Amino acid sequence: MSATDSLAGSLNLQTGLRRKRQLRLALIWGLFILFTAWCVNGTIIEDTDWSRIGGRSGVLASFGRYIQLDLGLVSELILPTIETFMMACVGTVLGCFFSLPVAWLGAANVTPSRHILYPVGRFLMVLSRSVHEIVWALIFVSAVGLGALPGILAIAMRSVGFISKITAEAIENIDAKPVEAIRAVGGNQFQVMYYGILPQIYPVVLATVIFEWDINIRRSAVMGLVGAGGLGLLFFRQMNSFNYGGVTMVILAILLLIVLGEVISHYLRKAVI
Amino acid sequence: MTELTKTPSTPVAETWSRYRFPGSLYRFGSLLGVLVFLVYSLHFLNVDIPLLFGALGGLVGVVAERYYPPDLAYVTDPGYLATVVDTLQMSFLGAIAGVFLSIPLAWFSAFNVSPNQRLLFPLGRFGVISCRAIHETIWTILFVSILGFGMLAGVSALTMFCVGFAGKLFSDEIEAVDMGPVDAMRAAGANPFQVFVFAVVPQVRVAFTGIAIYTWDVAFRAATVVGFFGGGGMGWYLKRNVQQLENLRVGAIILSIIAMVLIAEFISGWLRKVVNRAK
Amino acid sequence: MAVLSVRNLKVRYSGKGPEILKGIDFDVEGDDFLAIIGPSGAGKSTLIRCVNRLVEPTDGTITLLDQDVRALKPRALRELRRDVGMIFQEFNLINRMSVMDNVLSGRLGYTGNLRSLFRHFTKDDIRQALDFLERVGLSDHVDKRADELSGGQRQRVGIARALMQQPKLLLLDEPTSALDPKISQEVMALIREIAKELRVPALCNIHDVQLAKEFCNRIIGLQDGIKKFDGETRTLRDADLEDIYAMEVL
Repeated sequence: MSATDSLAGSLNLQTGLRRKRQLRLALIWGLFILFTAWCVNGTIIEDTDWSRIGGRSGVLASFGRYIQLDLGLVSELILPTIETFMMACVGTVLGCFFSLPVAWLGAANVTPSRHILYPVGRFLMVLSRSVHEIVWALIFVSAVGLGALPGILAIAMRSVGFISKITAEAIENIDAKPVEAIRAVGGNQFQVMYYGILPQIYPVVLATVIFEWDINIRRSAVMGLVGAGGLGLLFFRQMNSFNYGGVTMVILAILLLIVLGEVISHYLRKAVI
Repeated sequence: MTELTKTPSTPVAETWSRYRFPGSLYRFGSLLGVLVFLVYSLHFLNVDIPLLFGALGGLVGVVAERYYPPDLAYVTDPGYLATVVDTLQMSFLGAIAGVFLSIPLAWFSAFNVSPNQRLLFPLGRFGVISCRAIHETIWTILFVSILGFGMLAGVSALTMFCVGFAGKLFSDEIEAVDMGPVDAMRAAGANPFQVFVFAVVPQVRVAFTGIAIYTWDVAFRAATVVGFFGGGGMGWYLKRNVQQLENLRVGAIILSIIAMVLIAEFISGWLRKVVNRAK
Repeated sequence: MAVLSVRNLKVRYSGKGPEILKGIDFDVEGDDFLAIIGPSGAGKSTLIRCVNRLVEPTDGTITLLDQDVRALKPRALRELRRDVGMIFQEFNLINRMSVMDNVLSGRLGYTGNLRSLFRHFTKDDIRQALDFLERVGLSDHVDKRADELSGGQRQRVGIARALMQQPKLLLLDEPTSALDPKISQEVMALIREIAKELRVPALCNIHDVQLAKEFCNRIIGLQDGIKKFDGETRTLRDADLEDIYAMEVL
């Protein structure tokens, strides 16, 4: 440092800048560490009753309960697994239908009214994403009662945000030339959309839907926790009857289903593109 | 191109059709299959179809009837606001721990620079995928059963969630780096760790920072519900009021969640912009 | 009676923006192959798009096939557009659809929504599409996707699409500027030949003066939104060209 300080004025300026940057960096890190320490203090030190957890042996003991698999559960797993899978599929398709009007409203270049409906569309996108699927499920359980339907609706509502956002962006980024051509041959509004816009956006939209479907399998596996059936319900029951081996079995079933979903979506994505 | 053989037009005109024998059959067959599957699913899941179509109108009705007007006094109560702070702390810690844990995992599971493609690569992949595959609420329930109720369980669950989330994005980012510096480092005789630190990290630093901020944003959304299953934070209030059918309070809590998530999204968007500019 | 007559046409895109066209007058007669030349930014593209109102004029009158274009309601405008075939600089094809579907899309103005939803065009349309595809030399590419073709082939698809409309006027917006010189010659020759065959007048904006001289019987020179020249091709002198392109030299 002292060597650089003694150099010419222009270099001094550079050193000053570097100093400033280092200072700022140190400040950011300092604040970061302080904030982290505050969080650790609040959550882990004050809020945790270590004696009840029972030290390392206690944790190991409670963990160990999960390892003894309950193989007798296999036959009970099949139906809920299918239910979960179906819930994800139906929910995704329903979500696509809900997304269409939202994307239409929320794409700046095709929205029917830029001052009223466009903000509404954007707001619906944000709303859908900011409410967690569990909360959506709670709302729908109170609206339509227990069963698969609230799960499907919750998945659909949660999917709308992402699908319609990507779709709206794809619509905003389309190439205007084919649209112009369809207008020039005398095509109406519907034909402009169907021939001019749709062929351009459908690969992006399909890829997004497949991606969302993959995530929705995960989501549908927990819908049962709030009363919507499927693997979540079985998980809940095993947990409530303290059958920890059964819990592990349910988790394995979820893993299997998700690996399956991943494989299917891999091939679907290839088929689309 | 060979344009030597020109088929006469008239016979083609009579036989041209958009639909070709095997291709179109497969396409329509699979479309039909999917439709049948969906309809059968509705039947299998005992979904009441009229209820399904009425549900959205029903949603508006239910919200208007039960959740309105939201009990806003309840969510401005200091006791509730303290849990909002708890939620913030949990999401922050979960994100930090998750991001730090996911960096080595992402290194292992990025095929191009993985230190050991036979063993560590599949191991890293498996770690990331299983963290991702299991929903944050299941992680919460598992940790609550091992560690007891409280924020420690919530933080642990969020950590697992963030490992899955950030690990995938990180390893995708690493797999997309320019291999030039990597090859140069390898040619200079660097070991895999040195290659990672000197050739990969400088390339992905900014992207990682952005992803880390985004991870916090997503973790915050998840943190609003871990309390529902005993993981601490505002979700616990949600559960209590749902069970006691205090709908006006539930409405207020949901509103506060939406507001918090919007604020978090705004902050994360702003931070990411700052980071990108500092690049 | 002229097929198209344009009087005092003025266009500005936004209230305060510059005036792109500053009062243009011209007519297109029954057998014209009319070229609009001029430096880039002169307003050639805008002019041609005003004819079928892809761009809304701000002032003046356009009379096309005895109809006042500016007064038309949306439905009547669409019906008028069916009679105007348009060929574009960048072909404006629907890339993910087949050549056949692109050509058939020229009939959309005559096709109902339900039929367009299932792309179910009439037998006559299909027969005609195949004939036109043969006419432009693409019989072997009927079922290929439009983005698999070369530039010249794509423009031929664009020509076939315009022909499907049974047009009473052809609008050509820089039909050759995305093509190399040899292909440009072929494409222009093809368009002129077809226009003659079908006795359709054509309005063609083109930046390549040599091509304009070679293929067009009349030339209009535009410069900065003002008509600088209007006359038979053989009356176009080098001095006129210098006048038209004066701004570009600067």
